[in-house]
Amino acid sequence: MKNHAAEAEKFVADSARAHWHDEALWYVRRKRDVAASQLPEWEELREVAGKIKKNTVENLAYYLELFEREAQNNGIEIYWAMDARECNETVEKILREEGARRIVKSKSMLSEECGLNDYLQERGYEIVDTDLGERIVQLHGDRPSHIVLPAIHLKKEDVSEIFHEHMATRKGESDPEYLTKEARKSLRRSFLEADAAITGVNFALAREGAFVVCTNEGNADLGTAMAGVHIACMGIEKVIPSARELGVFTRLLARSATGQAVTTYTSHFRRPKAGGRLCVVIVDNGRSGLLSSGESEALSCMRCGACMNSCPVYRRSGGHSYGSTIPGPIGSVLSAAGNMDEFASLPFACTLCASCDNVCPSSIALHDLLYGLREDAIKSEAYRGKRTLLKAAAWLLLHPSLYAFVMNLYRRLYPFIPRRILYGRWNVWGRERELPEPARRSFAQIYEEMSDGK
Amino acid sequence: MGSREKILSALGIARNRGFEVELSFPILSFGDRVCAFVENLKKAGGESIVAEGELSKILAREVGDADSVVDTTSILYGSFSYKKGEEVDVAILGADLAVAENGALWIDTEDRYPRSLLTLARKIVVILEEDAIVDTMHQAYERVDFSKVSYALFMSGPSKTADIEQSLVFGAHGAVAMTAVLIPSKRA
Repeated sequence: MKNHAAEAEKFVADSARAHWHDEALWYVRRKRDVAASQLPEWEELREVAGKIKKNTVENLAYYLELFEREAQNNGIEIYWAMDARECNETVEKILREEGARRIVKSKSMLSEECGLNDYLQERGYEIVDTDLGERIVQLHGDRPSHIVLPAIHLKKEDVSEIFHEHMATRKGESDPEYLTKEARKSLRRSFLEADAAITGVNFALAREGAFVVCTNEGNADLGTAMAGVHIACMGIEKVIPSARELGVFTRLLARSATGQAVTTYTSHFRRPKAGGRLCVVIVDNGRSGLLSSGESEALSCMRCGACMNSCPVYRRSGGHSYGSTIPGPIGSVLSAAGNMDEFASLPFACTLCASCDNVCPSSIALHDLLYGLREDAIKSEAYRGKRTLLKAAAWLLLHPSLYAFVMNLYRRLYPFIPRRILYGRWNVWGRERELPEPARRSFAQIYEEMSDGK
Repeated sequence: MGSREKILSALGIARNRGFEVELSFPILSFGDRVCAFVENLKKAGGESIVAEGELSKILAREVGDADSVVDTTSILYGSFSYKKGEEVDVAILGADLAVAENGALWIDTEDRYPRSLLTLARKIVVILEEDAIVDTMHQAYERVDFSKVSYALFMSGPSKTADIEQSLVFGAHGAVAMTAVLIPSKRA
């Protein structure tokens, strides 16, 4: 099992860096607040977005079939994949048909989830992540720590070193403008030589048989414009009824994610370009199972990252501490609901402050879901020790005289217990805190004494 | 059973046909949409020019001494040629829809030129009638006729990134600069 607390401990060991990370994300959260405050109808929009997503998710088979039919009418090829393996195999099959070797990829959390990069690299394909943040982590042999800001855990000095090593930029030069321009030059070559472009999908429009990809850099647009084949991978929950609903989501997405009024490029793909192929792979990979669980609401997520920027635990523990593709509150829900044995610690990576609920553009009640998941988590193998301890405590509390005896013993022995035993390894609570001095007499004793005379 | 059938059957048999989301609340509107558009495009890193005088002169000024210009509007140059993958200095485009709340311009290639022009031009100049500016994305999508679209985008300002320590840099991959040239409506 992955252990969030243990991983977080490594992150906070560098306290200056952890503090910087916290501030950087809070800065993004504040930009979101400003953007949201400029729309008087913000709260209504969030509510409507939640309703649209709920309706779509409840009728997914209908909307997916409609999307498939309309997209095929537009000349888009539709593929279905049950799981990550089938998604990767489908992508590779298309690449093989095209004789494609060089691939440019824009950001797709689904492809991260499926491990598509590794899969293709192992088979000899050259795959270049083109989103700047993703490119940085790719060169670094790292993983994104945030779904919108993949390299938020790295400082510009880190990026400078990574670029110096892989792109021969000037040593010690860490000006973001300089580094970005160097990346532009290096990636431009990859774009111009690309055989195939892989993108994610932000929204698929059922009625129009089209889909939308949102970026700020224009990397999805450039890659798909140059390569002969465009393969877009989408989770089944990405479909929405029509362009009418898109108005709601495009107003919410960028404002929630980065505080921009809209992403720089909101690109609509409806037909393949002349002489090119346009393929969409519709991937389940556990999502249909989620639909019938208590956490189906999590399928409303539009991957804006606002819950992460708001989460006091995420900001202070870093995205990698979650050990899952998607970190933060929504990642904890998706991961724990999908694989509790592996991710049982994630529902506890939460203070239940509900800050995430209040910023979620789909109005997902994230902290309620996390609270509910704790009940399942505690039943998992990983928490057997804790469960036994709580059972013992419950048993003790059900036996008042025994409880009184034990507590009395503790009060008397307390002054004589050596610190190294009282604060031994077993005492997790006492690691950062001092135990309170026990009262000389218990509440029950005082109560008895006071009521004696009456 | 193929994956398609497996997925669809796992999703159950719910078949919704009539759902329409109600936007039953007041939606942001601007007294002066042109002004709001200009301001919001500026926030996104784009420039605006309210055209006074001859349009071709304004465009000539925007183009400056650029070596390679692709004018898809045929206002500055009578014709244009553009091949996929060509890197050019300036692309002149027309838009018939823009959004006041976010400074986005609806750019539809209409399959008239290779898509790479929109990202391989260093500077993008877009000509837009003032009347074509709507308040929000809701009205914008009501105006788009998707049955004619192959590939089209809302573009708001030049390409940008803030992936290195949240420092905003223009020209991540696509255009480094963008200018909207606003012309009075023909109807007026």
